[in-house]
Amino acid sequence: MMAKLDAAVIYETIVTVFLAFWFLITIVCQFRDSVLSNFFKHKVDIFGLIPLWTFFAPHPGKRDYHLLYRDKITEDNYSEWHEIDITEERSFWSWLWNPEKRDKKILSDVVQSLVTMIPTYRKEELGLNLLMFSMPYIIVLHAVSQRQKQSAEVSRQFMLAETSGYQKETDPALVLLSVFHQI
Amino acid sequence: MISFNNTTQLILLILSVGVFISALEYIKKIQVFSSNGLLSWNVMQLRWTQQDQKPLLKPLSKLFNERGLAALFVIRCLLIISLLFYPLQSTMGWVLLSLLGLSLLISSLITYYGSDGSDQMTILIVITLVACNLPGLGTPKLAEIGLWFIGLQACLSYTVAGIAKLVSAEWRAGTAVKDVFSTKTYGSKKATLFLQKYPAANGFLCWNVMIMETLFPLCLFLPWQYAMIFLIWGFTFHFLTALIMGLNSFFWAFMATYPALYFINHQMPWHLF
Repeated sequence: MMAKLDAAVIYETIVTVFLAFWFLITIVCQFRDSVLSNFFKHKVDIFGLIPLWTFFAPHPGKRDYHLLYRDKITEDNYSEWHEIDITEERSFWSWLWNPEKRDKKILSDVVQSLVTMIPTYRKEELGLNLLMFSMPYIIVLHAVSQRQKQSAEVSRQFMLAETSGYQKETDPALVLLSVFHQI
Repeated sequence: MISFNNTTQLILLILSVGVFISALEYIKKIQVFSSNGLLSWNVMQLRWTQQDQKPLLKPLSKLFNERGLAALFVIRCLLIISLLFYPLQSTMGWVLLSLLGLSLLISSLITYYGSDGSDQMTILIVITLVACNLPGLGTPKLAEIGLWFIGLQACLSYTVAGIAKLVSAEWRAGTAVKDVFSTKTYGSKKATLFLQKYPAANGFLCWNVMIMETLFPLCLFLPWQYAMIFLIWGFTFHFLTALIMGLNSFFWAFMATYPALYFINHQMPWHLF
């Protein structure tokens, strides 16, 4: 009985300390550029257990991103630009059942990571060439390379553009134009 | 007064609805995990570069394809249905919830892109309930500590979101809601037209969200009839974000924390007023 009680007390203490630590780390990691936050987020938290609770702040997402691609068929012959639709309108039932949000969110996350990285890579000596080795770039390239191609020998280029949604009827702005990739 | 057993069961019930819908949504969109999908493991495994992570991933990599993950999400749905028949305090209930937690952890390795705050709140709640209700070792006190942790994380989430908005010039200027609602990603045409017709609503919505989110932890300390104002606001807020922005999973994940807030409020030996 005594042994069981002791085990329960020890377990209770361990779990309490764990939860307290988790809570403290969550607070620390809200400061997203701190050294501790970067360490826990990138080195420790492989399961994404430390949340970032700053929803839509400080900079609310006010742009729609567009992913387009085209093929270089011969040296002077290019296909039209094709858009991979990320931002289609939602259905009436989206408040309850919204499977479309998954691929929209994936591409939106990837594109936003890429957009965030671009200024950093521009500052570096090798410039945007290094961006091609980043995870978001590879995911976007992988996504566009899976689309149907006209012949086996084409190379493909993608473009990221942004628009201001419903409100402002402005022209899309270029975010990133990739080099042609052999696919 | 509601007992912590009922509180825990209520949390689990609300959470289960959201996890069930989310699993079905993933099954509907299972092609994103195929070899030519957006979250193809061929690409996603490049994220894991450290040697010490490889032994963990090797046995799981066979699971990370369309068929393996479809099976995982179906199992997740079956676990949730089974949990309706076994209370968490029973050994079987705890085993089922542990397996559900395990399935959430496994899928989180491949859904790094595309997951959101509701997924994190879900996994946080499940792990807490599993850790605090271990048969034989979990004590009533530990179950209460778990409820405190869930409630405090919920309050932290609202406050951090509120403060982050307060320091933002765009939110203080009262333009942020209009800007977000005008995107096709998170907005809607009807909401945009409404805010164009009633521009004063922009400022009201921005400041309403900033103030209520920042002050949300008061729901722990205020007498219950006043604390309810925050919970009703939260319910309305999450329902509207589901309706206008399509953030349906946030509704269930955050509503699941509200029984814990009720529990903490009723544990307070004092109130502010």
